Amino acid sequence: MGEGVNKEVVKAFKEYYQTLDVNELVVKDLQEREIALIPLGQETMIRHMTFPDTVALKEYLENHIPAHLYYSSAYYREPQASDMNKKGWKGADLIFDVDADHIPTPCKADHDTWTCLECMMKGTGFPPESCPKCGMKRIETTTWVCDRCLEVAKEEVFKLIDEYLIPDFGVSLKEVEVCFSGHRGYHLHVQTDDVKRLTSDGRREIADYVRGVGLDPKHQGFRMMKDGSITGPDLRDGGWRGRFAKSVYAYLSRCTMEELRSVVGSDEVANIIMRNKDRLLRGIMANPPSWMGLRGVELGRTIRIAKAAVKDLLCNIDERVTIDVKRLIRYPNSLHGKSGLKAARISYSDLETFDPLKDAVVFKSGSIKVYVKEAPRVRIGDYEVGPVKNVQLEVPGGLGIYLLCKGAAELRE
Amino acid sequence: MLTIEDLAKYPFLRKASSFVESYGLTFQDLASDEYDYVVQRAVERVRRGIEGRWAELNVVDPETEILAYPLALAFVYGLRSGWVVRRFANSEQKRCFELLKSEEKEKIAEVGKDGFDWDLEGTELMVSGALFDFSLPVENYLEVAPSFHSPDWKLVNRHVIGGRVYLKQVEVARLLSEALKLKILRKVEEEDIKKFQIPEKLLSKLEGLEKLMKETKKYDEDVMAEFVEEAKPPCIVALLKDLAAGKSLSHMARFAVTTFLINIGESVENVLKYFTSVADFDEGKARYQVEHIAGLIGSKTKYLPPKCDVLRSFGLCVGEDAYCKRVRHPLQYYKMKAREIKRKRDGRRSE
Repeated sequence: MGEGVNKEVVKAFKEYYQTLDVNELVVKDLQEREIALIPLGQETMIRHMTFPDTVALKEYLENHIPAHLYYSSAYYREPQASDMNKKGWKGADLIFDVDADHIPTPCKADHDTWTCLECMMKGTGFPPESCPKCGMKRIETTTWVCDRCLEVAKEEVFKLIDEYLIPDFGVSLKEVEVCFSGHRGYHLHVQTDDVKRLTSDGRREIADYVRGVGLDPKHQGFRMMKDGSITGPDLRDGGWRGRFAKSVYAYLSRCTMEELRSVVGSDEVANIIMRNKDRLLRGIMANPPSWMGLRGVELGRTIRIAKAAVKDLLCNIDERVTIDVKRLIRYPNSLHGKSGLKAARISYSDLETFDPLKDAVVFKSGSIKVYVKEAPRVRIGDYEVGPVKNVQLEVPGGLGIYLLCKGAAELRE
Repeated sequence: MLTIEDLAKYPFLRKASSFVESYGLTFQDLASDEYDYVVQRAVERVRRGIEGRWAELNVVDPETEILAYPLALAFVYGLRSGWVVRRFANSEQKRCFELLKSEEKEKIAEVGKDGFDWDLEGTELMVSGALFDFSLPVENYLEVAPSFHSPDWKLVNRHVIGGRVYLKQVEVARLLSEALKLKILRKVEEEDIKKFQIPEKLLSKLEGLEKLMKETKKYDEDVMAEFVEEAKPPCIVALLKDLAAGKSLSHMARFAVTTFLINIGESVENVLKYFTSVADFDEGKARYQVEHIAGLIGSKTKYLPPKCDVLRSFGLCVGEDAYCKRVRHPLQYYKMKAREIKRKRDGRRSE
């Protein structure tokens, strides 16, 4: 935040916390969680706070306006202890972090830039792991989000819930809390007693499950029979087996010859599959299924097809967040200091229509005169601006706060 | 229903503890001649653990067996050796696994419930070619499965529906026996176990055990004292090859190589030699870092190499060999292989 703090942002954040309904701050077992915040205009985090109830928390927030407000995913016996070992860990929510930053979308070329801090080479789009010019890894990024990024992130959330959490993990909708992160993605909190005591290693297994890490189709029904023919899973199986069967069916129905050829690595095999496609698809659909259509295709190639088929079903989550049993995570319904947007809690039924760049905007009144240094095309609410550079503009309050928080604009008299 | 014979087979069950408690025995009582048979049986159980054999499966006298188990545990913790605890836990795990493998389904579910609060359900689910005997809640499964290294234990390679993992009987036996092993190992951390001391009167009965422990352990340590070149895991071999070829390694790769070499007893000087062919080698800087990792300077913590999972995440795993399948950590790999190589060598020499 730093220099971005100015009177307009302070005024807006203050007003938000003063008029906030305490019920919006309700979280499960607040008194067992550590609360932390970074005050507006400062860089150091104040940690190890506890509050008996939301009224006490709100009162504190009104007097110490936070740029960022966090709570621990963990429940502690003594959340206020400053030594992590003395907190007395009791358990933690299971968190999934979906962040558009981690998903390479094509629109990143329109709004993201990166700079190598070693040789100062610049580029646009998804940042490379190391600088293509000097090979160093000190890369600074300037990222923005657009509707497309946020839409992709939302699809990931639906995938996670509908494809994994409900059918495979047996989690019910009322046990999942979805929050907009306030900036570039979403957080999912699973808060059942079942997940509470999971170890970090156990959580890694769940993260790997939804990301498909270490997934081996040979353990999910794909086998070579004694006579050399291939057999595969059933659409009705559920779990990864069912997912494989369904995706292979869908994949073979839609894939082009080109794609298939590159997946199986052989013109001849791709030809055989394409020629037998209808028979193959009918077989996969049948009850019990028959994978005889793949006769003559080795197991290794079948597995490559299976892996290619489920690629789009793998969840793009930041696994470090899921694995961490003592994570500080953004407080639901607090404001994000780098966007001014609200980390809104959203019910599953509203998620489809939730428009973060509109519904998470809390400053709706008035207008602000800002000097925009540089910004790509940005939309907040119904108002769009940019790309712009070095220009004084009068914009609606929400957009003004957004640009100020992003550090792309400043107040000039 | 769990019978007294069942409790003798699985003396770690809560019901077995209640059975023992009902006797109201003190250490004083146990030290008396009247209970000498129980003490003997307990000592035997620990002895077998140290020797790496598991206690007999045949239960002749269930009462003795049940009474002797908590005493055997008391001896194991009282000996104050992590090594003994590990040996004992391993032998109990193997014994439990052998018994459960051929147990009736209902009994297995009861052992899960009474021993570990697991909600095992018998089933006969057939899915595309696989038949499952049980289902277990994901959270119970994950208490234990992450400690197995083999990829077929990864949750992602399991059949998971509605929050339950579907398993074959032999797999459930493996999970339950591993849960027992972890329970024995983790108890060491408990405060009253740390404070526990074997009462004077029983100490005399343990003389034989202490001697056996020293001898067996010394053999193990001798094995580790000498650097066995061929015992290095493939990931480290690959990294050393890259270093020799003068390739520049990532931070994590350097860290893995250095911590590994330091932990198997290489000197700072020797470790530095491996790095000299790297293009951007700066001796002063490298020495500082290696000494730091060795715990000679700075925080004085000696760092351990990352476990296999982490190496895999960083793309440093070069694929498994037969030993890798049995371990989860590069040091574990080295110890196991070094021990086997030395055993073979020593065997040859003595022939």
